[in-house]
Amino acid sequence: MSMVRFDGVGKQYPGGKEALSNVSFGLDYGEFAFLTGHSGAGKSTLLKLMLQMERPTRGKVFVDGDCVNTMKSSLVPFLRRKVGVVFQNHQLLFDRTVFDNVALPLLIAGYQPAEATRRVRAALDSVGLLGYEGRNPIELSGGEQQRVGIARAVVNKPSLLLADEPTGNLDPELSEEIMNLFLRFQKVGVTVLIATHDIALVERMGHRRLILDHGALHDSPAQPSFTADRTEDDYGL
Amino acid sequence: MASKPNVRRPRQGASVHSIGIKDKLNAWAQQHQLVAVETLIRLLTKPLGSIMTWLVIAISLTLPGAMWMTLDNLSQLSDRFQASGSMSVYLQMKLPDNDAQTLLKNINGMDGVASTRYISAAEALAEFRQSSGLGEALDLLPDNPLPGVIVVEPELSLPQSDVLALSAALAKDRRVSDVELDTAWLDRLHALLALSERVVWVMGALLALAIVLVVGNTIRLSIANRVDEIRVTKLVGATNAWVRRPFLYTGLWFGMVGGIVSWILLAIGWLLVSGPVEDLARLYGSDFELQPLGAGAALVLLLGAMLLGWIGSWWSVFRHLHQIEP
Repeated sequence: MSMVRFDGVGKQYPGGKEALSNVSFGLDYGEFAFLTGHSGAGKSTLLKLMLQMERPTRGKVFVDGDCVNTMKSSLVPFLRRKVGVVFQNHQLLFDRTVFDNVALPLLIAGYQPAEATRRVRAALDSVGLLGYEGRNPIELSGGEQQRVGIARAVVNKPSLLLADEPTGNLDPELSEEIMNLFLRFQKVGVTVLIATHDIALVERMGHRRLILDHGALHDSPAQPSFTADRTEDDYGL
Repeated sequence: MASKPNVRRPRQGASVHSIGIKDKLNAWAQQHQLVAVETLIRLLTKPLGSIMTWLVIAISLTLPGAMWMTLDNLSQLSDRFQASGSMSVYLQMKLPDNDAQTLLKNINGMDGVASTRYISAAEALAEFRQSSGLGEALDLLPDNPLPGVIVVEPELSLPQSDVLALSAALAKDRRVSDVELDTAWLDRLHALLALSERVVWVMGALLALAIVLVVGNTIRLSIANRVDEIRVTKLVGATNAWVRRPFLYTGLWFGMVGGIVSWILLAIGWLLVSGPVEDLARLYGSDFELQPLGAGAALVLLLGAMLLGWIGSWWSVFRHLHQIEP
């Protein structure tokens, strides 16, 4: 059984726009993969299907063995607790401190305050932001905000980590730093899927790639670093 | 974290963490406590945004509350009247005036009689002639058709049963033809009180609806202000109950604060009115005192307000929260 499995998934938005057509792939437990494609290729849609933020019009989406698209809405919160998500616009709440932002998933899951504090500090430590607990995210730089978002995504120790353009606003050096952070989570057993259009970075890192083109998926196995062919150019990147 | 070995076993690895049922229940109770305290503090430390809502709730509660208080006092007053129905004692036709005077003295000497007034047959006829305008017709009659009357006022403290016993005793007297208890005005008063009570209920129901709508609207605004927060919390696994909770508590606290403000308004109203009312009562020779809202009624007011606030927020949360999805 895989962590993630898509079976002939199609998604058509009201109005006729087809975001995904007949997408099938699987991610093993502990696998690390990139999801690439031009903007509007359906990357975000694909990620949203795994969290039931969208439902497919055809096919089935499985996460950790459970069919997501037929899942009762009362069970969706528990699915989302298993999945950490990092967004390009990081979705932080500016009316509270870094600590409270990162602690939110733990608060929701019902952790004791002492245990929650310990985990928040561990998560902030893992993204190099220990000591930032009392700051307001609005005072932080883009890269720091992104790392707070990552700390929040991993604080509940999810089995699946999804990231949607996590390096979208960052300079190359910071981007690489963030990607290395994701690699470290993969090393402790987390399944990681990162949607990005930063092809140079993807090629340097040389992992498995899922390439979306106008809603269709092409699977490209792990490439040795620096030798990847530049197929993305064909897709308008 | 990074030093741990690579784990690839299905359904295991870093993801596995478990919390026991007992811990979960504890956490649930703690969460309720936390949200309850947090929402109350938020409400009390930032009163500007919600002060209008409090006042609207308080006024909506104070109006029926004040009417209820008034009615309560009036019905207590009318309970006292119940024991004091005056009675008209009709004498036998053509009873000699001195017999009537003797009877008057007898009645005055009876227990429980506060005062008496004798209206002789002649006085009654004169009064009737004046008020009816049938003077010429009355002149045609050979005799005075009206009997003499003694109006008896029992003491205010006399219980209803003693008043009835008194009237029965008087009716047995051979000089008396009939005794009529004058309770019509009392019946009218009771009917009026019952009607007013109904009006209070209808008004109360309408104002309760107003409270539900006002709280619902305030909660709707606060949901709109916190759309981002709701999206993010749902995204990281918040259940609908978790998202609802702070809003429901806020509604509850709106009701509570409104209820307490309403208590204060009612107390101020009572202080302002009770003095003049007692002066007025004294002029009528009564020791009547305006009673404040009782403890039971005050508690009902507060709990009712909290319930209405809660219903208002439920209504709003149900209408708007499910539209907010990440």
